[in-house]
Amino acid sequence: MVSTLFAKTIRDRWLAMTIATSVLVIFMFYAMAVYRTIDLSIYTDLPRGIRDLMGIPAGADAATLSYNVMLGFVGALTLAGLAISMGSAAIAGEERDGTLSLLLANPKSRTQILVSKTASMMALVAATTAVLWGAGYLIPALLNVDIGATRLGAMMLHLGVNALFYGLVALAIGAWTGNRSLASGVTAGVMILSYFAVGLLPLVDGLRPAAKAFPWYYFAGGEPLLNGIRWDHLAVLSGGGVVAGATAIVGLDRRDLKGASVGITVLDRLRTNPRTRQLFDRLAGSTRVSRLWIKITSEHQGLLVVTSVTMFGLMGVLMGPMYAAIADNVAGLSDEFPEVILALAGGGDMATAEGFFQVETFSLMAPIAVMIVTVVIGARGLAGEEANRTMGLLLANPIKRSTVVTEHAVAMTVYAAVVGAATFAGVTIGSMIAGLDMAIEGIAAASLLVTLLGLVFGALALALSAASGRARIAVYGTVSGALASHLANSFLPLDDSLAGYARWTPHYYYLSSDPLTNGVSWAHATVLAVSTVLLIALAVAAFDHRDLRQH
Amino acid sequence: MDKLADTAVRTEGLTKHYGDFPALVDLTLEVRMGEVYGFLGPNGSGKTTMIRTVLDEIRPTSGRAWVLGMDSHEQSIRIRRHLGYVPGDLAMYPNLTGHDTLTFFANLRGGVEWGYVNELAERLAADLSKKVGDLSTGNRQKIGLIQAFMNRPDVLIMDEPSGGLDPLVQREFQTMVREVAAEGRAVLLSSHTLSEVQRVADRVGIIRHGRLVAVEYLDDLRAKTMRRVELEFDRPVEASVFEAVPGVHEVTVDNHRAVVSFGGKMATLLAAVAERYDVVDINTREADLEEIFLTYYRDDDVEQVVW
Repeated sequence: MVSTLFAKTIRDRWLAMTIATSVLVIFMFYAMAVYRTIDLSIYTDLPRGIRDLMGIPAGADAATLSYNVMLGFVGALTLAGLAISMGSAAIAGEERDGTLSLLLANPKSRTQILVSKTASMMALVAATTAVLWGAGYLIPALLNVDIGATRLGAMMLHLGVNALFYGLVALAIGAWTGNRSLASGVTAGVMILSYFAVGLLPLVDGLRPAAKAFPWYYFAGGEPLLNGIRWDHLAVLSGGGVVAGATAIVGLDRRDLKGASVGITVLDRLRTNPRTRQLFDRLAGSTRVSRLWIKITSEHQGLLVVTSVTMFGLMGVLMGPMYAAIADNVAGLSDEFPEVILALAGGGDMATAEGFFQVETFSLMAPIAVMIVTVVIGARGLAGEEANRTMGLLLANPIKRSTVVTEHAVAMTVYAAVVGAATFAGVTIGSMIAGLDMAIEGIAAASLLVTLLGLVFGALALALSAASGRARIAVYGTVSGALASHLANSFLPLDDSLAGYARWTPHYYYLSSDPLTNGVSWAHATVLAVSTVLLIALAVAAFDHRDLRQH
Repeated sequence: MDKLADTAVRTEGLTKHYGDFPALVDLTLEVRMGEVYGFLGPNGSGKTTMIRTVLDEIRPTSGRAWVLGMDSHEQSIRIRRHLGYVPGDLAMYPNLTGHDTLTFFANLRGGVEWGYVNELAERLAADLSKKVGDLSTGNRQKIGLIQAFMNRPDVLIMDEPSGGLDPLVQREFQTMVREVAAEGRAVLLSSHTLSEVQRVADRVGIIRHGRLVAVEYLDDLRAKTMRRVELEFDRPVEASVFEAVPGVHEVTVDNHRAVVSFGGKMATLLAAVAERYDVVDINTREADLEEIFLTYYRDDDVEQVVW
């Protein structure tokens, strides 16, 4: 273990962890304050299937609900996501930046470096878990909410171990392959897939045991908040983590380190193959660099493909038959859904196919998917080009700074449109093959609005990036903004006196008009589009007036 | 073509502060058409800040700059049509090949003459088929140089351009720079080593702590350059022989050997000693930039400016 490396990694990462934790704590406070004031008795009457899907355990009270939403769902995904980011960056990230060889020029073994990095990841995950745990006791005490027999400690232990498991898997893939995007992409994919599998599989008759094949089951499946620590589940997760850690050590030790080199893409292979050369030389070469926005568009092809395919296949096509399989279980509950559940799950009425798609595909996943691609272009585009020291060279050519900003906006729009179109196509096909008879106009409306919503936050990232020149500020600022907007829009309407304030969040203009059922609200679409244009104008002004950063 | 002024780059009282730190102080200089201007200074002296200000990457705290008579900020787009630029610490898009990179920059300028690009690539022995990210520092630098030269710019601004190039390619690069000046165009070239500049530059501006300390024709500078000369003779020598020669600063004599700090014409020194002794061996080393500052500029009237 190398203590300076341990300390440096902590120093590089604590800010992100602190911001994420603070946002979670603030909203846990708010959620609990809201739940305290409304009657929750109706939850106990819901059948198990519905509760499973929404992550609401039997006997939910204000504390249980808040814990489950803010910690069991948002908190667990966030913390695991941060662990994945640390794990994949630990070896593969340093390798890509070319700093790993510098580290290894010191008299420290590869294993020592790996162990130090792992230790810092564990320390940060433990610290974050502890802070959330403390907040979980402090907030109900402040609000005078009875936490009853909930086992907060058991849940937090599961949550921390769960996050470490994903972090270690990402570490292992990164250490074995030296490919950071592969490590974070595959692990995040496994996490999201298993999250959905654990929520949905038990709803299909006979498939309940299949959920045990997915790691998320060992976090949430035993309902530790109600049932206390499940040592067998923890053993599975920590065993998996240890195996992943050992794999990382072996994998890193046995292979050649990569230089700071660029990967070979499918396009590159097609470009060198004599049969496909002519076409792909054009596509990957001359066409790609013909315009600035096309070049920007070409830069994150992998991310765009993964995001679009996920939305098309997993969140679109597959969800149709999935709904058909569980429709019987939820059919009897078409009326009298409590408002609070609707708000929590994205406002959908689960008894209809539209409601189901709203909850599963549109409320959370679709905005996240569009935002991933728009924010990457917005934040990385300007500030990233400055950080990579290519902005000076670009601006030595006779193009205006405002053109550079607007070309990024064009590329961002293309990306958002592709993900929006993939979502539209996937849901439409899913609905058709399962015979759900959903209105095409409704699907188109929701897909259009989610595209516009993603563009608002992409434009926010672009503006922050243009003003600060720092990708980090742009990403953190935008993610915090989007999370705040989503949560405020979910919870403010629960309190009559605060409901009006939801109009100040971009998310309000996304689903509040119920586009899947009612078709597009052009007024809402206009609000989102105008916001995007205003933010882009801000970005142009900010970028025009400042000194380029020198790194 | 636009009406071009006969000064390539001009700055007047150019000042840039980063917070409290003065990176550039009241810098006034002029680069003429048809010359190679070496911009010389130690690391952190303000060379890059000056270049970035001229390129409108950063804006001056006070003062102005013109390129070809056009204001560096107001008319920056027009300026850049006539400009070639190689930034210091050059970085490019790692996932584009050299050819893609040049196509990209050519498209931003509305086209390029590919025959000339290929000629440049051949002269610098550059590989355009590989991805820039897979190239070594020197080979990447070649792509950067080609993109600066390829549009035959009226003004070429290069920030420490020959880093990483092997001696053969460096010589070719220097020939290319001289050709640009011979065609009546201008080159502004920054460097922290005198030897790099003296092979190509007509004039040098010396910058230190953000201030322009001196502007010299290279011939004059060479005459002033301090050299450390080691002489070995057939018999023991006396220090007084050297002390009488103008330009000698310091003499150490040790029997047959003498070490002299000398800042004049070599012929004068050799003539003075050859009169009385036979020189067996001679070894001379050029003082580096820091030594020039320390020995020449410090004790002159620029002292209060420099320190």
